[in-house]
Amino acid sequence: MEEYPEELRTPPITLTSLVGYPELHPLISTYLLSQQPPINTLALPDLSKINLFNKKKSDPDSTTATSSPPFIVNGILKRDWLLNHRTKIPSVVASIFPSNHVFGDPAQWLQVCSDLDSIKSVIRGRNIKLVVVLVHTNANDEVSEDRMIALRKRAELEAKYIVILNPNDDSEFQLSLNRLANTFSELSTAYYREEGRRVKQRIEKKNVSSVELIVRYCFKVAVYAEFRSDWTEALKFYEEAYHTLREIVGVTTRLPAVQRLVEIKSVSEQLHFKISTLLLHSGKVSEAVTWFRQHKNTYKRLVGAPEAIFVHWEWLSRQYLVFGELLETSSKITQSFPPVSLGSSSKPLSEWESYPAYYYQLAAHYLSEKRSALELTISMSETPSEVDNGADSVVPSAYVGQFARLLEEGENVDMLPLTDEEYTHYAVSEGKRFRDSLEIIALLKKAYESYSGMKIQRMSSFCGFQMAKEYFTEGDIGNAKQIFDNIASLYRKEGWVTLLWEVLGYLRECSRKNGTIKDFVEYSLEMAALPISSDTGVQRDTGPAGPANPMQREIVHKEVFELVCEASELTKSEDSSNLKITADESVQLEVDLVSPLRLVMLASVAFHEQTIKPGASTLITVSLLSHLPLTVEIDQLEIQFNQSSCNFFIANAQKPQSVEGSDPQQQRTETAPSLSLVSNKWLRLTYNIQSDQSGKLECLSVIAKIGSHFTICCRAESPASLDSLPLWTLEDCIQTVPIKDPVLVFSGQKSTQVEEPDPQVDLCLGASGPALVGEVFLVPVTLVSKGHDVYSGELKINLVDVKGGGLFSPRDSEPYSTENHHVQLLGISGPEKEDDSQLDSDKIKKIQQSFGLISVPFIKNGDSWSCKLEIKWHRPKPIMLYVSLGYTPNSGESNAPMVHVHKNLQIEGTTGIVINHHYLMPFRRDPLLLTKNKQASESDQPESLPSNQTMVLIVSAKNCTEVPLRLKSISVEEEAGVERTCSVQHGNEELSNPALLVPGEEFKKVFSVSSNMNISKLRFGTACLRWRRDLGVEEKSASTTTLSSWVETKQKLPDMNVELPPLIASLECPPYAILGDPFTYNIRILNQTHLLQEIKYSLADAQSFVLCGYHNDTVYVLPKSEHVVSYKLVPLASGVQQLPRFSMTSVRYSAGYQPSNSSNSVFVFPSKPHFKTAASTNFRVESVVNE
Amino acid sequence: MIVCVAVVGHQNNPLYIQSFTEADDALKLHHIVHCSLDVVDERVNNPKKSGPMLNETFLGLLYPIENYKVYGYLTNTKVKFILVTTDLDVKDADVRNFFRRFHSAYVDAVSNPFHVPGKKITSRTFAERVSTIVKSFGFSSVA
Repeated sequence: MEEYPEELRTPPITLTSLVGYPELHPLISTYLLSQQPPINTLALPDLSKINLFNKKKSDPDSTTATSSPPFIVNGILKRDWLLNHRTKIPSVVASIFPSNHVFGDPAQWLQVCSDLDSIKSVIRGRNIKLVVVLVHTNANDEVSEDRMIALRKRAELEAKYIVILNPNDDSEFQLSLNRLANTFSELSTAYYREEGRRVKQRIEKKNVSSVELIVRYCFKVAVYAEFRSDWTEALKFYEEAYHTLREIVGVTTRLPAVQRLVEIKSVSEQLHFKISTLLLHSGKVSEAVTWFRQHKNTYKRLVGAPEAIFVHWEWLSRQYLVFGELLETSSKITQSFPPVSLGSSSKPLSEWESYPAYYYQLAAHYLSEKRSALELTISMSETPSEVDNGADSVVPSAYVGQFARLLEEGENVDMLPLTDEEYTHYAVSEGKRFRDSLEIIALLKKAYESYSGMKIQRMSSFCGFQMAKEYFTEGDIGNAKQIFDNIASLYRKEGWVTLLWEVLGYLRECSRKNGTIKDFVEYSLEMAALPISSDTGVQRDTGPAGPANPMQREIVHKEVFELVCEASELTKSEDSSNLKITADESVQLEVDLVSPLRLVMLASVAFHEQTIKPGASTLITVSLLSHLPLTVEIDQLEIQFNQSSCNFFIANAQKPQSVEGSDPQQQRTETAPSLSLVSNKWLRLTYNIQSDQSGKLECLSVIAKIGSHFTICCRAESPASLDSLPLWTLEDCIQTVPIKDPVLVFSGQKSTQVEEPDPQVDLCLGASGPALVGEVFLVPVTLVSKGHDVYSGELKINLVDVKGGGLFSPRDSEPYSTENHHVQLLGISGPEKEDDSQLDSDKIKKIQQSFGLISVPFIKNGDSWSCKLEIKWHRPKPIMLYVSLGYTPNSGESNAPMVHVHKNLQIEGTTGIVINHHYLMPFRRDPLLLTKNKQASESDQPESLPSNQTMVLIVSAKNCTEVPLRLKSISVEEEAGVERTCSVQHGNEELSNPALLVPGEEFKKVFSVSSNMNISKLRFGTACLRWRRDLGVEEKSASTTTLSSWVETKQKLPDMNVELPPLIASLECPPYAILGDPFTYNIRILNQTHLLQEIKYSLADAQSFVLCGYHNDTVYVLPKSEHVVSYKLVPLASGVQQLPRFSMTSVRYSAGYQPSNSSNSVFVFPSKPHFKTAASTNFRVESVVNE
Repeated sequence: MIVCVAVVGHQNNPLYIQSFTEADDALKLHHIVHCSLDVVDERVNNPKKSGPMLNETFLGLLYPIENYKVYGYLTNTKVKFILVTTDLDVKDADVRNFFRRFHSAYVDAVSNPFHVPGKKITSRTFAERVSTIVKSFGFSSVA
């Protein structure tokens, strides 16, 4: 687009002219230029220059065209016509006079008149409009009406076209400038309209001599329309001109054939440019595209003479380029418009045609056509320096698209028409001057970037490919290689093998030219391994790689292997000196999981076992696959592992081993009978392997050495996760597997786990029997080394709930959640007979509630070490105890493998002692408790006790375990912070000797409780038990051990209600009776109320006794007094005998009373017994076997 | 005249590509077919633009380039058929008809139990049938 002249590219701007009074010119022209639309001004300082507008007086077509038909039309468009109208021929001339010249001195007035006359005479021929501007020089200038009228007459102007400027008054000056601008635009519009109409009339008269003139007139009308911003009319006439021009093509014979076509194309190009610009500026993108397509189709076939065909291609290329640029600029301006609103019914446009990149790409294509055509022309007519001097003098002639020979004879300059031959020579020499490939690259780059920006990657790749090809032929290897590399990745991804082959061929040549041998080898190998099975039909016009077919693959293969093996030098190509492997350098190719070279060599490694013992050997299979077309002989394979001690070599038995000696460490070398890698066939090698080091053993890579300087290092892959090869998977060939074993194919891994050596240390957990809740349960742990020294040993202890979970998260609802853990690891005591301090402080010892970590000192082979775990149960619960020992059998090695021993043990936690209690009233004394009677049926109600009575509390402790226990004390203690509301006697004494409690046995202790306070509730406190396991034979010695070994079990005694009994019945009877000896049996009834109590009582007869007294009676017991019923009894039989049964009923309370059997019996001796007096003790101990 | 037909798979990989031209510009045709995949992608990804063509297998004219016109067809299994022709005036109906026949040939070819889906089509029968269809396309357009 830049090559078009300025006046064509920009929309026309009105041109006006100022004459005289040059001081004001800059001011006025700046103001006019800033108007909308702007107005250009041509400033003439004085009248002498006015004749500039005059010289076209003799122009034939402006004046004589209508009158004298027979004249020769030399061309279609004058080259400088538009420029003249843009820069030289104004539409309006403003003649500026100072006002004093007009209104002052008559001599000056005369001068003004003559100036006006001369201006008028000049502009009349061109119909240029006139404006007279009067400038107020002095404020006191008088305006004389007469002079004004005279001036108007002289100038033949309406009053409004005489503008008065007053530069002294600022605001008025602005106003008058504005008026001036309006006048200018009005007049210039009129001028252009008149001019346009004048030319249009000529067209309409239809008597125009030649079609060329019609084109010219249409063009002029359109330009005039443009001048006054009438875009629709402009477009209409440009199109008219364009269509008319199209008719000329076959008709005109004015010029020789080649030049004729050139002229028509040039004109059509200009017209087309104008039309496209107008269309695009008005936002009609699809119409512009359609127009372009039409334009292209119209002229595409007007190729012209074969020797000048390149001119056509160049022209076509320029059409694409210019339209592309127009599209691009217009799409920048009207970005909001959706560029694609296509779909004109008959031939729908594809969205592609609205992308500038599409046009750039085609421009590049036609430019390359031009280049090849030009080259052909040059080679055909190669007679150098013959016409070159002649071509120098060829210049563009006065008409658009025409050229002429400039003939200078002294002062005379003459233009001679050219013959076609001369013109062709000229064009060829012009064409030679340009480096088309740079232009092509620039075009393609534009397209490439534009497509890439729109993420249209395949198109951009194609442009890139063409661009890189140009770079390549230009010798810019760096750029070419970079672009080729980019493209190759896309083709690889999508599997376009032929395209990839092509690109790789170029890349190969690039690296050959650069002398980068590694790249060369890589590209060559990749090419050779491409899945090109049959002829793809690409024969001619191929890149440097040659056609893609299996034979070419083999050629490439051979070439590269000859190079790397130095069997021969690359003598065929002229630049083989670039590529040579010297003795001290080597080529190593890395093949990883994403490398395209996986096609060349793929290594799959599988261990036959997933885990192995240290020192034990297993099998490893190394499988290699190559898609190279020919068999490759490998000299040596090196298998590398993450444990470098396992690395080994596989040597080819058929090749002499020269490398073996160079191996510094004596590494294992296997020999394989043959290491030839046949195309598309797995080479499978199976060897033993063993590792002494526990941990992961992974095969890292397989390095194949071919020749002395060439190695391919393949990353090892597992068969189980073997990615299918790119490209080859698409081929219709049989899928092969790396290993014959069908199981390993799916599960084989390139790594195996080497187990740690078997531990040679015994770990014993010596817990016996269940643990008891509350006690500190000791679990002895013993380590006995049987063959290993134990270094940096570590003991880990874990307590786990057997049922899972409950150990660590006690439910919140439970009242005593202060203990967070039901089972707790309290600590670890060191080995017996050793001080705790021997557990070095620097060694780890970490104890948590359920987890412990303890370091184990060095244990020599054969020695043992033990410690005890202290575990306390707060709740009966079975737990699982896990103990694991980790150690290293060797000292000094920080990263030596650990050996682990695990043991676990389930331990039950059971309740050791169950505490029970109950209350008793004094013997043979029964109070009447009203609540008890009332609620006898509702057993869940807490029992009531009588107040103000001494009662007996019996606390019993029962051994629920399987082992004997020792009981140290039972006491009733006050609760902290709660006042006890009764007194308990014998509460806190310890047993003098711990009592032995065999399994199932119950121990009872009796407390007497009395409460004198007048309250309704009694708090007794907590029953507290101290006990431990019976140590059996060691009991004697252990009795002196510290108190801490005693377990304290506490149980809160429930609170009891108390109430005042209204009646108390007590039976009084001697402790024993003697046969035949009478005794008194009194029954006391105590009324504690303030009411009179009516009591009915009866006494039943008894076999063993004779009695005297009332059998039945009713008595009244006075308030707060006692009534005694008294009987005399004589026992008739000895032994335990039932006393006569007494029963009574309180009428007021409807409550009956019957004494219990135990309180109603007495022992009768046959004769009076003799008692020894026993030593009295402070307390009474009753140990009664529970019946 | 049809100069090239191609079957393109899911990963935009060529499954079958055959050129029918004496001019021996097969490589260029490969490029053209490959580039046309961009247009297919765009049509498929932006169905709005191609509005009424939604749910139609025939994609119509993909794009004009130099002396060729490229037509596309997308099967329900997202396999693409590309047709490159040098004819400037091609009736849509002809192309549709061609693609329909081509599609049935393709269906027959991949229904072969020995054909592995996703692999290149190497069937000779298919190739013969395709060339017959291509030839008849020329005739029908003349007629």
